[in-house]
Amino acid sequence: MNSNKTSGQKLLGFLAANSVPIMFILIIALCIPVVGFSPTFLLNEIVTRLSRNAFLILSLLIPIMAGMGLNFGMTLGAMAAEIALIFTSDWQIWGIPGIVLAMILSIPISAALGVLCGRILNAARGREMITSYIISFFMNGVYQLVVLYMMGSIIPIIHNNIKLPRGYGVRSSVDLTRIRKCLDNLVAVNIAGVRIPVLTILIIVAMCLVIVWFRRTKLGQDMRAVGQDMEVARAAGIDVERTRLISIVISTVLAGIGMVIYLQNMGDMATYSSHSQIGMFCIAALLVGGASVDKASIGNVFLGVILFHTMFILAPSAGAKITGNEVIGEYFRVFVSYGVITVALIMYETKKRREKAGIGQQLAAAQKEEGK
Amino acid sequence: MKNKRRLLFRALTVCILVAVAAVMMVIGRGHTIYFDNKTATVDGQEYKAFQRVEVFVGEERVARLAKRERGMASCVGQRFSFTMDVTENKGDEPKHYEYTVSVPYGMDGMVVSVPALLAGLPEEAWRSEFVPQVVQEEEEEEVVTDEFDMDGSEF
Repeated sequence: MNSNKTSGQKLLGFLAANSVPIMFILIIALCIPVVGFSPTFLLNEIVTRLSRNAFLILSLLIPIMAGMGLNFGMTLGAMAAEIALIFTSDWQIWGIPGIVLAMILSIPISAALGVLCGRILNAARGREMITSYIISFFMNGVYQLVVLYMMGSIIPIIHNNIKLPRGYGVRSSVDLTRIRKCLDNLVAVNIAGVRIPVLTILIIVAMCLVIVWFRRTKLGQDMRAVGQDMEVARAAGIDVERTRLISIVISTVLAGIGMVIYLQNMGDMATYSSHSQIGMFCIAALLVGGASVDKASIGNVFLGVILFHTMFILAPSAGAKITGNEVIGEYFRVFVSYGVITVALIMYETKKRREKAGIGQQLAAAQKEEGK
Repeated sequence: MKNKRRLLFRALTVCILVAVAAVMMVIGRGHTIYFDNKTATVDGQEYKAFQRVEVFVGEERVARLAKRERGMASCVGQRFSFTMDVTENKGDEPKHYEYTVSVPYGMDGMVVSVPALLAGLPEEAWRSEFVPQVVQEEEEEEVVTDEFDMDGSEF
């Protein structure tokens, strides 16, 4: 009886801990027969989106490790990548060299923005997520000032197909046809009608290995210590502020590189909006994979990308089939993205409050014991 | 000592990145090559356009030109190799030519005059920079910078 109860509790615990991925699996299982997509089409779409987004989402892991929560400031890295891509397009650097150059150019911009973001987050300790979210809005304004007014007037932009007709500022859309899918197509194989971008996947796997290795380094262990308890880490001689700052810089730089991979797959860049939702959707995908604000793994990244994007692929058609209106499906997926983040934040706060209450109860019990 | 080593390591990393970026800028510079099969006049001498010119880059045919026609191809880097099958007059057998030409770094578009090139004239005679026609002033483009855009379809 007792053992039954224990396994029942275990099952409940498992369901509670994995409620978000389970919910998504159920939604997808319900949508697939309704939509009726062929497995080849679905697999092709999932593989494409996996190779497009996984690197970006991997960039979120390090700040979580350092206890800084979900880094909404990854948008800053995305902006840096966009600036780099504007330059490489204007200088007409095509193909793989164009992608590599954009990645290299994005690094100093991302690093500088990461340092700025990290310093602000150190000053706003305990409120990192909302602060990074607002920083991304603030930096979006600065980005617009640079791209819309300084490029072409102060910062040289040569080609008219990039400049606005008025002579300065960058057009709403920058054509990346010359680098489109260069990375994805360089080494690609076709297995049973599913195109697999081997090189891009190898880059993602290499990044995963780097993260695994990084966790074992001195800096990685410092980050984990800081993430578990800042005061204990400080007492152990770790420079907490510096460690936190480095985690944000690494995350922003990786987000910049990830954004270049993302945009080379798209082949087109919406200059003023490509970056604005990227943080939100990456975070939503990570949470869908079963991560939380204080715990995330590489497995969460891949499960999240697969579940979240399968839902993205299915939702519009499912919406159209069920309600006769495709827009309903579009709304559904946006609503789910924001909803899953809200649920994760509520769960995190509830857990924190429970832990605090538990500590308080333990303390009260200990005092009672002493009083006796 | 540790600080010195760290500084050296950082400087080395920056140098490597700068060097790789420089190499990428050179090897990845893209150009558009235009092939003109038009009668060319150089120093008062006329070089007649050919009946038909087929231009190949590798195995791919990039242009098939009749008289007074222009074709184009893309080129990455500062050297461009191509082959041509040229039919001089109607009914002739096409002759095969292989060329590797240098493309100046600063030239976005380079026009190659096929008759002048085949006549063996110097580079300046068959090569010129492509200057796009001045188009009428476009209407001002509306720039939307709404950060609250809810559409996730692109993602």
